[in-house]
Amino acid sequence: MNFHFLFSNIGDLTVTGLSQGAIYALIALGYTLVYGLLKLINFAHSEVFMMGTFGALIAWNLTGLHENDPTPSLPMMVVYLLVGLVGAMVWSGVTALTVEFVAYRPLRRRNAPRLVFLITAIGASVAISEAVGVITSRNQYGMPDLFKTTNLATIGNVHITNVDLGVVVAAVVMMVVLDQFINRTRLGRGIRAVAQDPDTAALMGINKNRVIVLTFALGGVMAGAAALLYNLKIGVTRADIGFLLGIKAFTAAVLGGIGNLRGALLGGLALGLVENYGSALFGTSWRDVVAFVVLVVILMFRPTGLLGESLGKARA
Amino acid sequence: MSEVDTTGEPVQGAAGGGAAARQTRPLLEVDDVVMRFGGVTALDHVSFAVNEGEILGLIGPNGAGKTTCFNVMTGVFRPTTGQVRLNGRPLVSRSRHQITRLGIARTFQNIRLFPEMTALENVLVGTDARHRTSVPGALLRLPRHRREERAGRAKAHELLDFMGIGSTANQLARNLPYGDQRRLEIARALATEPALLCLDEPAAGFNPAEKEELLELIRRIRDRGQTVLLIEHDMRLVMGVTDRIVVLEFGRKIADAVPAEVRSDPKVVAAYLGVPDDAA
Amino acid sequence: MRALREAEQNVNVRVRRAWLVVPVALSAVVAMSACAEQNGGSSASGKCDSKIAFFGARTGPNANLGINIYNGVKLAVDQYNAKHKDCKVTLESKDSQGDEKQAPGLAQQLVQDQKVVGVVGPAFSGESEAADGIFDQGGLPLISASATNPSLSQKGWKVFHRMLGNDNAQGPAAATYLKDTVKAKKVFVIDDTTAYGKGLSDVVKQSLGSVVAGSDTVQPKQTDFQATVAKVKSSKADAIFYGGYYAEAGPFVKQLRAANVKATFVSDDGVKDEGFVKGAGNAAAEGSVVTCPCIPGDEAKGTFFADYKKAFGKEPGTYGPEAFDSANVFLDGIAAGKTARKDMLSFIDSYDKDGVTKHIKFDKTGEIAKSEIVIWSYKVSGGEIVKDQEIKATS
Repeated sequence: MNFHFLFSNIGDLTVTGLSQGAIYALIALGYTLVYGLLKLINFAHSEVFMMGTFGALIAWNLTGLHENDPTPSLPMMVVYLLVGLVGAMVWSGVTALTVEFVAYRPLRRRNAPRLVFLITAIGASVAISEAVGVITSRNQYGMPDLFKTTNLATIGNVHITNVDLGVVVAAVVMMVVLDQFINRTRLGRGIRAVAQDPDTAALMGINKNRVIVLTFALGGVMAGAAALLYNLKIGVTRADIGFLLGIKAFTAAVLGGIGNLRGALLGGLALGLVENYGSALFGTSWRDVVAFVVLVVILMFRPTGLLGESLGKARA
Repeated sequence: MSEVDTTGEPVQGAAGGGAAARQTRPLLEVDDVVMRFGGVTALDHVSFAVNEGEILGLIGPNGAGKTTCFNVMTGVFRPTTGQVRLNGRPLVSRSRHQITRLGIARTFQNIRLFPEMTALENVLVGTDARHRTSVPGALLRLPRHRREERAGRAKAHELLDFMGIGSTANQLARNLPYGDQRRLEIARALATEPALLCLDEPAAGFNPAEKEELLELIRRIRDRGQTVLLIEHDMRLVMGVTDRIVVLEFGRKIADAVPAEVRSDPKVVAAYLGVPDDAA
Repeated sequence: MRALREAEQNVNVRVRRAWLVVPVALSAVVAMSACAEQNGGSSASGKCDSKIAFFGARTGPNANLGINIYNGVKLAVDQYNAKHKDCKVTLESKDSQGDEKQAPGLAQQLVQDQKVVGVVGPAFSGESEAADGIFDQGGLPLISASATNPSLSQKGWKVFHRMLGNDNAQGPAAATYLKDTVKAKKVFVIDDTTAYGKGLSDVVKQSLGSVVAGSDTVQPKQTDFQATVAKVKSSKADAIFYGGYYAEAGPFVKQLRAANVKATFVSDDGVKDEGFVKGAGNAAAEGSVVTCPCIPGDEAKGTFFADYKKAFGKEPGTYGPEAFDSANVFLDGIAAGKTARKDMLSFIDSYDKDGVTKHIKFDKTGEIAKSEIVIWSYKVSGGEIVKDQEIKATS
């Protein structure tokens, strides 16, 4: 165990852990929203995220930005950030809605048992990932550099880069906006009402299917944002990246309390940190072991996760 | 369907007691509705109408089919045969949220609030049924959306005040005392601006003083312009407030008349005799 | 057993001389009649429907290496068939996606098809470990043009051969390069936990000795390398050795350079692919070095380079020449009538002939003869992996 390395680099490990965790958190939202609403674990969400990474890339390529192009000027960079964000959100959103319309809605109409939903979710995930794999020949695609990674500030021996700061700030802003949306607006109220009591919600004039569509779209859009941040931070995408990140994000959602939006943020950041500290201490090959042991231990003491369950309790 | 102690055979045929004079326009028509669950017939060719502006009582012993009737009207169940019309528009096979938007709102025998929302939010969910902003409009927070949101809040506060629970606006629904939860359910139903308000045993669990208050409230609701359909067990309460009463027994309508007439109807007496009012 | 095989072999090799030497002529007649029987009597079902197989990733994240190999094999088969129009060889292809879990099943399929007399592959060390035992049981000879884990030749698999030096040769060469050419004082060694990556990294670590400043592992399919980058950074290493494949190396180098780590990146043949540059981006990949027991396409003898370019419209990629040589060993065997697996195996074991990459001669374990091993270094320059120099092993 390398305590020396851990403690001498704790600052940097914290910064990079938080930025990785922020991406987990944004993906975790999709799991948590759908679970909170339908008690459905939407395994296809990992592919919603994966599609987003390609969505941003396609948007950049269409607007004339390619992998090895020189970094654009500042105003163009902002434009390309927006282009990438829109591309990722649209692709992710469309994927999420397609899964809902093609896979889940017909099952709901037939009142299918929960197990059928679960297996459908897994099937949809594999199908999308494999289809993209075949179409892309399973190649990996590098992202253009929108900007150079630079050190914004060094506090003591902690280095804060523009990417890490940007990722964390963007993720937190998205979370706050979503939280406000769910807690303060009519549509958010509708989502919470359906999550708490779908039958009564319908009798109060809420169109359940519309709420479900909206929820999938929100999860998709958040996954799209995560995909853009991932592209900026990791710089490479492939058809099979969804699987590992999906599992991590789902873990984050459970860790924070599935169904709980703030739990997703907390769980994501916590997982990112634990992974980083764990790999510093035991070596990178122990990273997932440490992460999942921590998960199990936390769930032993807090079976509903750090912040407890239920989208309805989002005010907690 | 476990009613005990009903003497005599069920009355065959249509309404006894003669239909009340109908000067006013029927708002809701239940037209020859049959509802079967497997082999059990919960509603057997039931027909009646609720006239605009009246308070109609729907009574009957436990298991007579009153709540089933509510559920058919509000789209929870789809009747085996028959039709329900609101303002002449057929409701059968419309989805529940559409029926609500057409103008029927209800409360529940077992309270069904959104427990993790505040009282105010519960009522706001009701007002949302009348919002006309599209989803993109709401996402972009267009001025109309904000205007409607503001109006909704004002109305929700007004309804809470009207129900006498204005001070509980920011408490979670699950933390409210029982009586306030019942009142909150009514406020939430009113928020959907229904033409017809259906109350399913609103006085259950109330003491006499509270019941008296409730009666007054129901009258005031009618005075606001709402038609009220009241399911009630407590005969005295029904007699005191309703303009007309429909009596169900074993899924059949056995009476449809003004309260005084119903009270003396031998079939009704037979159905109720020996059965304490609040037997549950 | 091996002596017996060699004896059988000699009979065939000396067919021409049999005209001169009477005692041998007798046996030659026997041999030729056997040959004729296969040639004429059952030409439809015998020799002329022989197959050789490609086994490796043609899809999957590390597919490019497999595709290069497939192309090399295909070129050899096409050339053979052009010369033997009346008796063509079929090329069978098994796409393993480089996945160890899929490998045994695919190997079983090939073993069951008795017409398959030789396999070029499996391409990667991991899938070789999973599949070679099955090939051995089925007696199906194989020549890998790319699997370089040393242990593969130590498992007693008689069917195993490889057309290139293993990591025991590549590792020291990479270490030599790091010490002599990069002149590194501190080297951080990373592996990807695969049979190939870990095996090679261990050899490199051993050869480097005290110059190793630290080590870490990454995992296949990992994309976020922050923790490893932090370790490299804090070790203040001036060079990195990475044992693994290009799918992970690409994003790793990208994140490494983004974190402003300037250490020279040296890796292995698993990273020698344009996919690496694509993943890392030209700027981050620039100056990275890979070693490979494979020769540059334009260093191949004969017309291979031109032929390949003509056939596929691009220059031969990594292992293309080695794959071409591997296939030709089998094709020579088929031409010599070795259409039974047993015969093919002894034919390969006594093979002794110039290929386009080297003089081909295998030792008892199926390794290419030590004196014939060549290791090259390649460098990323302007977004392309170009040949750098041949590394002369010092050990």
